[in-house]
Amino acid sequence: MRPLSLALALALLAAAPARAEAPRAGAAAGGAEWLGPRPPASPRRVVSLAPSLTDTVVALGEGARLVGVTRYDDAPEVKGLPRVGGFLDPSPEAVLALRPDLVLWLTDGGAFPAVRRIAALGIPVLALPVVDVPDVLACARLVGAALGDAAAGERLARSLEAAIGRASRRAAALPRVRVLMVIGREPLVVAGPGSYPDALLSIAGGANVAEGDRPWPVYPVEKAVAANPDLVLDAAVNEPVEGIARLAAILAVRAGRVARLPNDDALRPGPRLVRALDDLFRALHPEAKGP
Amino acid sequence: MSAAAPGRASAALALGLAAVALSVALSCALGPQPISIGAALSGLEPDRSILLGLRLPRALLGAVVGCALAASGTALQALLRNPLAEPFVLGVSGGAALGGTVVLLAAAAVARLSGAAGALLASAPPVVLGAVAGATGSTALVFALGRIGGRLVPEAALLVGIVFNAFAAGVITILKVLVPPEQAARLLYWLMGALGYETAGTLAAGAVLVGASVGALVLLSGQLNLLSLGDEEAASLGVHVGRARGAVFLAASTATGAAVALSGMVGFVGLIVPHLVRRLAGPDHRLLVPASALFGAAFLVLADAAARLAFLPLGSEPPVGALTAFAGGPFFLWLLRRTERRG
Repeated sequence: MRPLSLALALALLAAAPARAEAPRAGAAAGGAEWLGPRPPASPRRVVSLAPSLTDTVVALGEGARLVGVTRYDDAPEVKGLPRVGGFLDPSPEAVLALRPDLVLWLTDGGAFPAVRRIAALGIPVLALPVVDVPDVLACARLVGAALGDAAAGERLARSLEAAIGRASRRAAALPRVRVLMVIGREPLVVAGPGSYPDALLSIAGGANVAEGDRPWPVYPVEKAVAANPDLVLDAAVNEPVEGIARLAAILAVRAGRVARLPNDDALRPGPRLVRALDDLFRALHPEAKGP
Repeated sequence: MSAAAPGRASAALALGLAAVALSVALSCALGPQPISIGAALSGLEPDRSILLGLRLPRALLGAVVGCALAASGTALQALLRNPLAEPFVLGVSGGAALGGTVVLLAAAAVARLSGAAGALLASAPPVVLGAVAGATGSTALVFALGRIGGRLVPEAALLVGIVFNAFAAGVITILKVLVPPEQAARLLYWLMGALGYETAGTLAAGAVLVGASVGALVLLSGQLNLLSLGDEEAASLGVHVGRARGAVFLAASTATGAAVALSGMVGFVGLIVPHLVRRLAGPDHRLLVPASALFGAAFLVLADAAARLAFLPLGSEPPVGALTAFAGGPFFLWLLRRTERRG
């Protein structure tokens, strides 16, 4: 199981028995909110609690304002920065010690009690729910505005939008590929309908064969076999390549119609979507010429 | 009580209070982030927020939970007349977790129809109520099914508790499939037993509930002495056995339920602490219950500080429940072997 992948079953998070969230609107639907006080007009010390938000800050050209990131952050721009814990278990103590004037939080995590406490202690927190591609664009604008540079946010959002437009135009001319996207193999976890990679797949010309209403289902192998996808996308990038042989019951795997993704960009709802769409397009349409 | 008892009692209780104060102070002083207590007290940020906003509330939460678990453990050991009884081992914690989980799931279901009603149901009071109900139910089950031929057989009751724990864990795993993955991960971590960052209101409510139920156990401790002699003996000494046992059940279940709602399944505190305290304070429950409550509080605060510090180089911290189980499992087995030799 991979650190950033959804199941996150072993991930640590602060205990929060006394709360269950109602389904929440994504950032694009006005779901973003401020916790704690408002930040200064142009915050100088920013802590990012999600790698995709780190990417957004870096893509805005403001990487120098970051003072802390998560232990999963691997962008070269933040290599030397202090780590403040994980996606689900940020350490409030480490965050506070960095004296940030803005904390960026991807709400799709279990860290609510810890983040609520950080906000209650007087640190401005921008909570950004990201579930779909439009939320990524909204995030670019919101983070840009929070950093005091709304214009840069707008520019970033438009460049991402343009990349999405390019990918869907290229894919429109090609046949749709029926695909199963494997996130974890043991147990089989796939990108289900409503997940972020599902949205990327449909932009890049794929048709997800996973059914149901859960974004990250533990999927019965039999159903995967019966769905008989044209292609199996192996997104379990931290597991050895040959492990996909476990799924040899699926015809596409036996026939070698497996594409391994080079990285987990498709699982990071942020500016990496440009590269993710390219990678997905190449995997889905190996016969197509480059852009 | 012997003539020396009052002196011994006040010494043990004073020692317990000192242990609580010391452990809270230690837990406030130590953490991943070096801070200056002096700077914190003079209001310098971020030291002040780290000390008063993070470490102190967490230490207090640990104290409340530890106090509840150790006091219930002592009471359950007296009722079962067996040193191996403990809320976690007996399945009382498991029942509480199941009760709390069911309320959370119901809240998630209700939230689909009405967000406000769901949020209300998922707030602390209903979850605590569910946990207390689950704890009470499982205690009743263990003590009812632990009877063979009308007599309470401690080994049978322990087995019932262990089986019930496995059952509750299975049911919770099934229920977890029904909630969104984000909530499932949170549920899992909660169940492992972690001290987190509760709101002041939740912490205060939990403290009141634990204070009341542990207070009740202290008041009942005289009867616990007689109950631990056995039902017939207690009855012949004028104890209304059914009523007294019911009251102890309810108080111990309430304390455990509140502790589980606050911090999940932290195991073995109710086993380790009463056993050590018995060596210091002797077998008299009038002293043993309050002293266990105090030392339980100190124990869990220290265990949590250890959990926070031990894995510092990895930039992570395990839930304190993992640490207490790490220490408690072998302790349980040692105690079991020892009891066997004596028995």
